[in-house]
Amino acid sequence: MSKRLQKNKFLKTYGAFTRAGVMDAVAYKMNFICFFIGEIFYCFVMYFIWKAVFESSGSGTFMSFSMTDMVVYLFLSNITMFFTDTDSTYAIGEEIKDGSIVMRLIKPIQVDLSYLFYELGNKSLVMSTVFFPVIIGVEIYKYNVAGHIAFDIGKFLLFMLSIILSYLLAFYLNLVFGYMAFFLMNLWGLNILKGSIIKFFSGAIIPLAFFPEIVTKIFSLMPFASLSYTPVMIYMGKYTGKDLLFAMGLQVFWLVAFFFISKVVWKWAQKRILVQGG
Amino acid sequence: MRRFFRLYKTFVVQYFKQLMEYRIDFLTGALSFLINQLTNILFISIIFDNIPALSGFSRYEIYFIYGFSLLPKGLDHLLTDNLWKIAYFIVRKGDFDKYLTRPINPLLHVIMELFQFDALGEFVTGIVLLTYASIKLDIYFGPVQILVLLLAIIIGTLIFTSIKILFAALALWIKRSGSILQIFYMSSDFARYPVTIYSKPVKFIITYIIPFGFTAYYPSTYFIRGNSPLFALGIGGLAAAILFIVSITVWNRGLSAYESAGS
Repeated sequence: MSKRLQKNKFLKTYGAFTRAGVMDAVAYKMNFICFFIGEIFYCFVMYFIWKAVFESSGSGTFMSFSMTDMVVYLFLSNITMFFTDTDSTYAIGEEIKDGSIVMRLIKPIQVDLSYLFYELGNKSLVMSTVFFPVIIGVEIYKYNVAGHIAFDIGKFLLFMLSIILSYLLAFYLNLVFGYMAFFLMNLWGLNILKGSIIKFFSGAIIPLAFFPEIVTKIFSLMPFASLSYTPVMIYMGKYTGKDLLFAMGLQVFWLVAFFFISKVVWKWAQKRILVQGG
Repeated sequence: MRRFFRLYKTFVVQYFKQLMEYRIDFLTGALSFLINQLTNILFISIIFDNIPALSGFSRYEIYFIYGFSLLPKGLDHLLTDNLWKIAYFIVRKGDFDKYLTRPINPLLHVIMELFQFDALGEFVTGIVLLTYASIKLDIYFGPVQILVLLLAIIIGTLIFTSIKILFAALALWIKRSGSILQIFYMSSDFARYPVTIYSKPVKFIITYIIPFGFTAYYPSTYFIRGNSPLFALGIGGLAAAILFIVSITVWNRGLSAYESAGS
């Protein structure tokens, strides 16, 4: 088979999953809209808290962040989390539990890719319907405060690249979590646990820069920082030159690492699937 | 009523058996809610490392309010978690019919069916935080204070439960209302901090529309500021009662409008 044909076959096979993803996302749009509103709610709670913090601190800045920085950080990190978050943990877990994962196993496809392409459908909708509007909103806010447009296309492109790395890393990290369904039945609890660990260590609750210096260093080396902190810092222009290269290099490193971990765990888990499959 | 308690006991005993069977799952659940709360507490603590007071509230006063907010939330979570399942899947999968065929009030049956031990993660954190803050703030707990505390927790729990019944009941018409419930439930996040930090519209909403303000902040002011508890208990109690009646009415309407989704 020629290379071209192989590529066509690949797209045909996995493109079907992407289409299904888009269709499901449209069918469950209410679900998605509500979760988005929930995120925005959370942002506003945090907004008021930070506002009170800045007012109480007496000075215009808090740990080298201005209030404008904080608002930009808050909305960007939450929209990044919203974008990179994946349902794969839950989906895989449920399929393992009820045995329907065999439907994927009997097909001549890679299980992880089938989930990934399914989600691409969903994510492309998220990108166009909420991600870009929030970015535009943030830029309008910055314009209102600063009085001039401070949009840097180069930074933006790096941000987009970094966010794609974040998403792929999130996907493989979640896949590993999803495989935990082989050992645990309480997927709901596991999901909450995963959510709070990620939210905390990725800096979505408190910017990592606010921790003591040594803690900041350790946290920013961990894979969680690569999930949202890195792209947001790039967008805000807090990472430049060497720092930027290092941070993005780290993203690639963790992506590769979790890609291989997920393969190993999967191989090992496959042997156990006979026990649970229905 | 006696029959209800006997049945409830039977259900709970069944749950304990399950708990023993799936110990690791219980630990994961409780641990996850515990860690979830710990990260938020760490957030408060880091903020207070840098500022002396937040809108006039000291570190321990904020801990008190936060800890308080976890008690009604945790209690409701422990007792009525099955309402989430109603809202998300049970109606949609057509499994709701079973509640209608049993000789027991469907709402009670739904609630009794699940005893969510995961909630202990929240509840215990709340008690520990509240106790710690009370010691630091030197708050005296006499019989009156304990009575106010218990009443406030009951009112707060009733507010949470009513909101859940109300939005879970929507599923009886639209088959799936989980995400709508999620939005309203999440607005309780506002209640974990002093209501005074919010803008006027937000303050109004969480006091009079979705009265989560009464699940933590208003009753807490009695303990940490010596405010009269009348507003918290009176208006809060009234709000909880109205909300409860509305939610039960909507639920009953939903039952008569319900058409099975079963195939």
